[in-house]
Amino acid sequence: MNARDKFVAHFDVDAFYASVAVRDHPELRGKPVAVAGSSRRAVVLTASYEARPYGVRSAVPLYKARMACPDLIVVPPDMQKYRAISREIFEIFERDGRTVEGMSMDEAFVAVEAATLDEARESAAQIRREIFACTRLTVSAGVASGKMIAKIASDSCKPDGLLAIAPGDEAAFLAPLPVGRLWGIGPKMQARLAVFGIATIGELAALDDARMRELFGSWWREARELAHGIDRRPVEAERETKSISTEETFEYDVSDERQLVGVLRAQALELAEALERAHTVCATVGVKVRRADFTVVGRQAHLSEPTREARRIFRTAVHCLRRVELQGAPVRLLGTRVASLVEGDARQTSLF
Amino acid sequence: MKFSCTTKDIAAAVGAASKVVNAHTTVPILSNVLLQGESEKIAVRATDLELTLEHAFPAQVAEGGSVTIPAKLFASYLGNLAAGTLELTGTPTRASVKYERSNYDFHALPADEYPPLPAAARGSQFGIAGRRFRDGIEATIFAASSEEARGAVLMGTLLEVEGKSLTMVATDGYRLAKFATTIEDEVSANEKFIVPSRALAEVARNLGGGERIEVSALGAQSNQLRMTGGDVSITVRLVDGQYPNYQQVIPAKFDRSVTVSTPALIASLRRAELVAGDRASMVKLAIANQTLIVTASSDISGNAYEELEVEQSGEDLTIAFNARYLVEILNHIKGDKAVIEFLGPLSPAAIRPLEPLETGQQLYVLMPLRQ
Repeated sequence: MNARDKFVAHFDVDAFYASVAVRDHPELRGKPVAVAGSSRRAVVLTASYEARPYGVRSAVPLYKARMACPDLIVVPPDMQKYRAISREIFEIFERDGRTVEGMSMDEAFVAVEAATLDEARESAAQIRREIFACTRLTVSAGVASGKMIAKIASDSCKPDGLLAIAPGDEAAFLAPLPVGRLWGIGPKMQARLAVFGIATIGELAALDDARMRELFGSWWREARELAHGIDRRPVEAERETKSISTEETFEYDVSDERQLVGVLRAQALELAEALERAHTVCATVGVKVRRADFTVVGRQAHLSEPTREARRIFRTAVHCLRRVELQGAPVRLLGTRVASLVEGDARQTSLF
Repeated sequence: MKFSCTTKDIAAAVGAASKVVNAHTTVPILSNVLLQGESEKIAVRATDLELTLEHAFPAQVAEGGSVTIPAKLFASYLGNLAAGTLELTGTPTRASVKYERSNYDFHALPADEYPPLPAAARGSQFGIAGRRFRDGIEATIFAASSEEARGAVLMGTLLEVEGKSLTMVATDGYRLAKFATTIEDEVSANEKFIVPSRALAEVARNLGGGERIEVSALGAQSNQLRMTGGDVSITVRLVDGQYPNYQQVIPAKFDRSVTVSTPALIASLRRAELVAGDRASMVKLAIANQTLIVTASSDISGNAYEELEVEQSGEDLTIAFNARYLVEILNHIKGDKAVIEFLGPLSPAAIRPLEPLETGQQLYVLMPLRQ
């Protein structure tokens, strides 16, 4: 590790959409606010901290949020405004030639040049002040030796917080936290670990080699390093696009296959245009279906020749949809995804 | 039923049949092989409802009848027996095997629930020398499409019979393989069959050694094809559809050509492809002064340059191909020299062996890459 990139800071705007709404409508300050669309199926996109004690948080269906919190004030989203603010925030991140790895509109890792933890903390504090001065929005930040710890730190000090973890203190900081906070440990692995009585990261870090190997297979060394707070992944400026996707949640469930095929046709056109703009072709096409019972199923197919032709994408997507074997089951969401992207044009010519 | 046979005979028959069984079938009995005993023979059958393979072997049949046994399990068991003789007794629910001092009982399913063979109403039929058919299959099926999304027709291989000639064609739209040979009987009506390529692969694997293969169309609409050689018979449901007009895409005339050493060109292309890297595997062939220059380049790997001496006729040319496709075609050309014919940088090229095979004429057409 060289002195230049010694620290990673993770920044995350507090309740981004909701905070923007409160900023622009001061009468909402101190009240439970949710940003959500207006369709029958709308879900909460962001909730203000005042709404969260009621269980109102992102991805909760709006009707449930209203039941849980009758005083909830619902504000429609304004994507254009969010994008403009996001650009301002990223400009601040990138000042002084800093390396920035954007995770979403309001979240990023920033490589911080600093010789000591105090210096790194001050850099992060400076960035937070600049963002507040420019946007009147508060940002929480975590500073640490690696990306994962920095993110866990910023999540732990929300809202309007700054938490720096000194090199060497990572394992102690992680130890009391639930294992699910570690990257790569999802609900399934969490359940498996629970069977062995492992609930905290500290308990995981204390396991011996044989048990780690048994639980994690070939991944056990990385899992142990993460549990000890060792994370060597660098902040990467531009993440390569690996796939492009589009999806649609229907206002009402759809069971008619012809209607679903019509949606795939439109999505194929949209993806063909996106591939064209990105100067890439794709060799994998997949569909994602969420049934009315919320079960999700995906199918994908590989193409012998990469393409950006809407017709090929569409036909392959239809094939994938048929392989789902819906048998008339109502569908809530349908999406198409193209992957195995290769730069360039489709160059193989055809016989017919 | 009750019979005894050599472990080698039954292992070969059950092993071949078990390859047809679809491991993901949801119909339990389709996971099983059917064994039917009659006089001095046991016939083993497996099917996935599209493809059926029957393989008979000699046995001492003490009591006729039939039994079905889980295919993969039974094949693995038989594969683990040393040479010798075994005795099998079958009932609707159990198959018991005695071999030396061991005794195994396999759970069986009632044989009368096994799907019957298609009705034997026959359409046209002909015989073909085993070697000719096997060479034709090997020369063509690799060029068929493996993409289900593009439909079953392109995944099949076309068998076109006319008089005493058989033409086999496979294409995925980017390359085309054609094999023209003769059959042993003259057919009165011209026939076209689109055969799932995997069925032909089974034919090459199981019937290729035989002297003569009988091919006959089955069913009222001739929607199935049976191919029989010796003790093995493969029946397949034909693909329903219109095969692309392949004759239209094979240029009638070319204006330039090279004759090149097949192994030398394969070796050059394989090395150059390493550098070409990306999915399109683009290599360029430049032909001038009786020399073929193979080049490839990529930002990541660097540049490749290879020179080969060729016999050139006609004008100079530079053309680009997907190296994988060209190598795959050249790998199917038997003989030291290949002839590649061209019309221009964006027109189909034809590849064939300089010396045709004894068993039939191979022709390949490959579309170039746009540079």
